Amino acid sequence: MKRRDFLAAASASVLPVMLNGFGLKAMSGQSALVQSLLGTTALASDRALVIIYLNGGNDGLNTVIPLDQYSLYNGLRSNIAIPQNSVLTLDGNAATGLHPAMTGLKNLYNNGKLSIVHSVSYPNPDQSHYRATDIWMTAVDANQTSDSGWAGRYLENRFPGYPVGYPNTQMKDPLAIQIGYLTSTTLLGSQQSMGIALSDPNSFYQLVGGPNNNTPPADLPCCEAGELIAYIRRQQALSVGYAKEIKDAAGIGVNRATYPPAADKNYLADQLKIVARLIDGGLNTKIYFVSLSGFDTHSTQVDTDVTIGAHALLLGKLSDAIAAFQQDLNLMGKEDRVVGMTFSEFGRRANSNNSKGTDHGTAAPMFVFGSSVKHRTIGQNPDLATLPGTNGNKEIPMQIDFRRVYTDILNDWFGTNRTTTNSLLFHEFPTVSLFSDTVETVTSGNWQDRSTWTVGRMPFANEYVKVNAGHTITVGQNIMVKNIKLNGKLKFTGPYKVRIVG
Amino acid sequence: MAYLEPYTSVLTARTAAHLLRRATFGPTQTEITNFTGMTAAAAVQLLISNANYSPPPPIDLDSNQPGAGETYMDKPFDHGRNFELGHYLRCWWLGLMASQTAPPSLLDKLTLFWQNHFVTTREGVGDYRFLHQYLLLLRNGALTNFRTLVIEITKDPAMLRYLNGNENVVGSPNENYGRELQELLTVGVIDFAGNKNYTEDDVKAAARVLTGWQYTNFEEDGSTEFTTHFALDKHDTTNKTFSSHYGNTIITGRSTATAGDDELADLVDMLLNHPQCARFICRKLYRWYVNPNVDQTIEDNVIIPLANFFASPTNNFAIQPVIVKLLTSQIFFDNATIGSMVKAPVDLAVGMMRFFNQPVPTLPTDYAAFKIYGDFLYYRMQDMLQPLMDQPSVFGYEPYYQTGFSRVWINTTTIGYRYQYTDAYAEPFLMVSPTYQMGIDVVAWATQLQRAASPTGDFSDVPVTPAVTCTVIVNTFIKNLFAVELFTTQVDFLIDTIMMGGLPRTSWNFEWNAYRSEPTNGGYRYAVLDRMQKLVKFILRMAEFHIC
Repeated sequence: MKRRDFLAAASASVLPVMLNGFGLKAMSGQSALVQSLLGTTALASDRALVIIYLNGGNDGLNTVIPLDQYSLYNGLRSNIAIPQNSVLTLDGNAATGLHPAMTGLKNLYNNGKLSIVHSVSYPNPDQSHYRATDIWMTAVDANQTSDSGWAGRYLENRFPGYPVGYPNTQMKDPLAIQIGYLTSTTLLGSQQSMGIALSDPNSFYQLVGGPNNNTPPADLPCCEAGELIAYIRRQQALSVGYAKEIKDAAGIGVNRATYPPAADKNYLADQLKIVARLIDGGLNTKIYFVSLSGFDTHSTQVDTDVTIGAHALLLGKLSDAIAAFQQDLNLMGKEDRVVGMTFSEFGRRANSNNSKGTDHGTAAPMFVFGSSVKHRTIGQNPDLATLPGTNGNKEIPMQIDFRRVYTDILNDWFGTNRTTTNSLLFHEFPTVSLFSDTVETVTSGNWQDRSTWTVGRMPFANEYVKVNAGHTITVGQNIMVKNIKLNGKLKFTGPYKVRIVG
Repeated sequence: MAYLEPYTSVLTARTAAHLLRRATFGPTQTEITNFTGMTAAAAVQLLISNANYSPPPPIDLDSNQPGAGETYMDKPFDHGRNFELGHYLRCWWLGLMASQTAPPSLLDKLTLFWQNHFVTTREGVGDYRFLHQYLLLLRNGALTNFRTLVIEITKDPAMLRYLNGNENVVGSPNENYGRELQELLTVGVIDFAGNKNYTEDDVKAAARVLTGWQYTNFEEDGSTEFTTHFALDKHDTTNKTFSSHYGNTIITGRSTATAGDDELADLVDMLLNHPQCARFICRKLYRWYVNPNVDQTIEDNVIIPLANFFASPTNNFAIQPVIVKLLTSQIFFDNATIGSMVKAPVDLAVGMMRFFNQPVPTLPTDYAAFKIYGDFLYYRMQDMLQPLMDQPSVFGYEPYYQTGFSRVWINTTTIGYRYQYTDAYAEPFLMVSPTYQMGIDVVAWATQLQRAASPTGDFSDVPVTPAVTCTVIVNTFIKNLFAVELFTTQVDFLIDTIMMGGLPRTSWNFEWNAYRSEPTNGGYRYAVLDRMQKLVKFILRMAEFHIC
């Protein structure tokens, strides 16, 4: 039985995969539509996206820590709360800090290369690993299902007919590369995966023939059986689609940054190291999908010293891996070509359990990194005083729908037509201004209300502001902005001023 | 190191499975259990005595035909249906190989050896009746006597057709069979040291000996019988002189009605007396059953002693004692032998049908389902480079003679086809009949495990019986599955990374119990099904699964 048959059995509404009204099955590589799309300049873009999946549900509240509400934070989870003086502080943002293991991400933040997107989720969040992962990967409403992943739909739209007729002069490389054993739903197109899976760093090295110092040699039994298994594994690696292109890029590409040592067993860094090498080698792959497992921290996520332990190890690996990867991109001069994002199927509950762990929750922060992000903070710390929940449990409510982040990536990073993006994501979602230095209004409302603004918080003094047409923003305080463009109206409730910092 | 000495240890599950993987097309779990505890000698004897020499005949599988579900070899020849009726013969043979109701026998694996030795093909022969008779000749003679087999196959209509013996007549000899008889069927082109075993003149002389054999009614529409006969007027009656490789033998030309048989007997005696003949056959059997790689040590300690026994006056080229000796030898059960070859497509394809209990539809009643089952096996094996009874050349399938041997089965293309085949078990789609979906129903399988754990056989007694854990699921699934033992790290990897996708093992218990509590909930079912399907798909793609 195929995935769609199960979904049909499991859910009342399976969304058809339609692009601007065209069923994807109807698009053959020879159709005039497909041919005209192939000729567009959009294909020439060399931008790439790196998706990092934090498998298991990351504990957001111990990752991005609300220093402005420290005692409430400590009260919710005194057995695992990071001591205030250990929390890494951020330049120009006294309200928020990072877990002490994440010095790499702290530096990226301070250098303007990291966006913290607060409290990301979706309406009616699901707390089953399976279902929640599916929702994030397919980008559907909680009560709907889809046969295809959001990135897979994007690639299918941009490279119609794949894999028939590929590689071609417009796209000679794999559309997406996943490093992992099983093909992620994220990369599923309507008919098949749009990605090529390199099962692990070891198989990558089997393919490119180089030494691999970061993973141990795969276990082999003695004698001819062992020789045959090694032989078959190598043939398996070579049978990966686009083996030649990957091999060629890996042969040209080099890593210039220092990655975590093998002793760290930083599997995520191993994966990103390969991605960097392929990017340096000139591979034009659009999407790379990597992952790090172990975030399902129901118990003992901290040691006796709460700044170390299982969760600290994971966050340290995440931070070290991203920092090394970003440094590598910088040294190869391709920082402006790549953005990365992390996601996890859900956050964890605000209040800890008695096993020094946290149970399944709802919203959590996402990280978006790269030199192209324009705002270091999107949204604001969750308000810990007013958390909803029952039976003593406290959940972090959603501020930002994850599909708003996807929307910006599709529209502003990949340059997708907005109508197309809306159809790929099944709805229109407002921007979070990830890649725009201008903070815009999304609705009429109060200036200080976070839901008024694309970035989910009041504009900072160093930000451009645009009040969109048809919006009336009520101002009850003095405000400072870098500049302001008024297509809508400001309504002052008293003798307040707008100061243009310039 | 031990070689041909008898292996006297009692079979364990591992060695029993090894014997069954090599001597048959792969065991069922029940067969492994039944063979565990036997001696190798008793086990091989049982595999011999279990042979069924009178299976029901092939059946017309085309439901659009008036004779659908009926035998057809006994009906007038129908040239228009030559391909499909020949193909149904292959399906019939695949059905015998995959049967799980017949007790396990080594007969068909050995028959396939002979078919790949005395190659003729459906494509090359054409007439499906010829092919049928040829296959029965090999099957009935598989364990008898090599001398008899060579004589019979030489006169067989399919072989006369395939290697042009029919066109080999006095005055204009066709040397095709005379050459292959020496090069491929008896002495081999060179010895182990690389010396030629015969001359070109020997090819010509052998061809002259073989002149005059004819078949009748080839592809003759409406014909109800066919035969081989000896035509004296087409026979070269002069003396045939052979080289020093054959001790300068002279085969006396005859002019009697039995000249063909008499000269053939002399020829086969001469070929079998060649010191390399028995070695050539024993080396090929060793490569088929034990290990494709034959080095000087194996040549000296296994091939030569086995060949000496094969050709000894007391044995006189009897086949069965050689098979028994080889399959009960210490070298056969040596740890280094287990897993030393890549599974041939037939071992993979038929072996999985057997191991995962995918029953062969019953003939003649379920002929439509049987056709789907047989077609699937045949065409997937064809993708994987082993079309049954359609070898690419008279040399047989490449992996049995080309450098690399069983590794030749694996390349970047066949890997994909192997995945496609094994994936069909992990993610079933083929409807063999409206009530029979081929493949592994993982949820039903795990449900059985769960029921077995319950004191009352109840599936949904969540408060009473703990969930069957993911560790048990994995360990039960891989039991006896691989020729080599997995390392603990590999098993952990299967559990934690492949099945659980990085989540704690306890998450499985929650998901499984949710499904147990509410088996009609599609979401719950999909969650557990998806995990187990990913696991099974991965396991069956593992390199370890593709060796035997």
